[in-house]
Amino acid sequence: MNRIVEAGKDKGFEIVQGIDYGAGPIDVVWSINVHQALPDIRCGFIALRSEEGGSHDTEDNQLSLRKIEEAAIRGIRSGMDKTYLIAENEEMARSVSGKIEWLASHGSLLRLDAVSLGLSQDQTEPAVITPSQKRVPQGEKLRKKAMREREAKLERHNRPKRVRRRRENPLRKTLRESRIDRNSRPKDQKPKRF
Amino acid sequence: MSEQDSAYPESEERAQEKLQLIDTLKAPVIQMGRDLGYEVVENHDLGAGPVHVAWVFKPGSESLPDMRLGFICLTEFSGSSINEGIARAMLNLVDKLVFVVPTEKMTGQVKDAIESMPDKSILQLRKYVTVLTPSTLVSKTGVQGSRERRSAQTGEAV
Repeated sequence: MNRIVEAGKDKGFEIVQGIDYGAGPIDVVWSINVHQALPDIRCGFIALRSEEGGSHDTEDNQLSLRKIEEAAIRGIRSGMDKTYLIAENEEMARSVSGKIEWLASHGSLLRLDAVSLGLSQDQTEPAVITPSQKRVPQGEKLRKKAMREREAKLERHNRPKRVRRRRENPLRKTLRESRIDRNSRPKDQKPKRF
Repeated sequence: MSEQDSAYPESEERAQEKLQLIDTLKAPVIQMGRDLGYEVVENHDLGAGPVHVAWVFKPGSESLPDMRLGFICLTEFSGSSINEGIARAMLNLVDKLVFVVPTEKMTGQVKDAIESMPDKSILQLRKYVTVLTPSTLVSKTGVQGSRERRSAQTGEAV
């Protein structure tokens, strides 16, 4: 939490530590003054710990939904505009953010993903999860493209020099593939449709 | 080690007691929902954790969505249990939440915790959450509110 306090101070925000507004403790609050005429934006940071006294909650680098929900609502009820949930490491923080996204995906009136996010104590990279639709360019199947390129390269290099690539008769190819399929599938499995 | 051994059954016993109390609190809610002709769902859960009882009803027209009234039983008063209950209800698409508590004293505590808006929270919970004991729920059935009584007498539309 010291890093968050220091980061807030460096940016000139007003910092409050370990405060309880009535809904439970908030570890750090940043009050960000964006303009004199506007109210401060308040960001709350809540550390997620395994309070049960065992390692059960964090065994597989995941925190329970119960804990995540509770902390997020604690921040909202305490008047925070944003609530950041601080996990022990980046993997756990990603898992927290993923669970928040999942909880928000049910269509509740409360867009939990708009107000809370998982962060790690030593977060260096952006914490916002980019959906796969945005990560992978539209319509581009990167993995299949790479496979095709590799196969074409193998074919080119395995063929003897000055021997042209023979194009297989399409009917013969279909017949060959159907035979392979028939002989390689288990008896109770339905045949593949071409 | 011996301390741990002795502590473990005690906590399990406590958990059992809590579950029993939840069952006791749930029973009249389930019964009343059925008597009133609502669809009653026990442990309604879309993934955010169980809402102990949900009454599901159609608000008159097929084209309108079903309404869900959720009941969450609280066995003890704590800020975290209230937060958790609210989170479960909102994230499980419950339209109104009722906290069912064992004593009148606890009703007051939970109400105060919800109605005191510490620092301008974005959630107006006093319109979303109701707190009552099972006995209040049973005793107030069939009793018309003052507004309902007035409208019945004068015939005005509310």
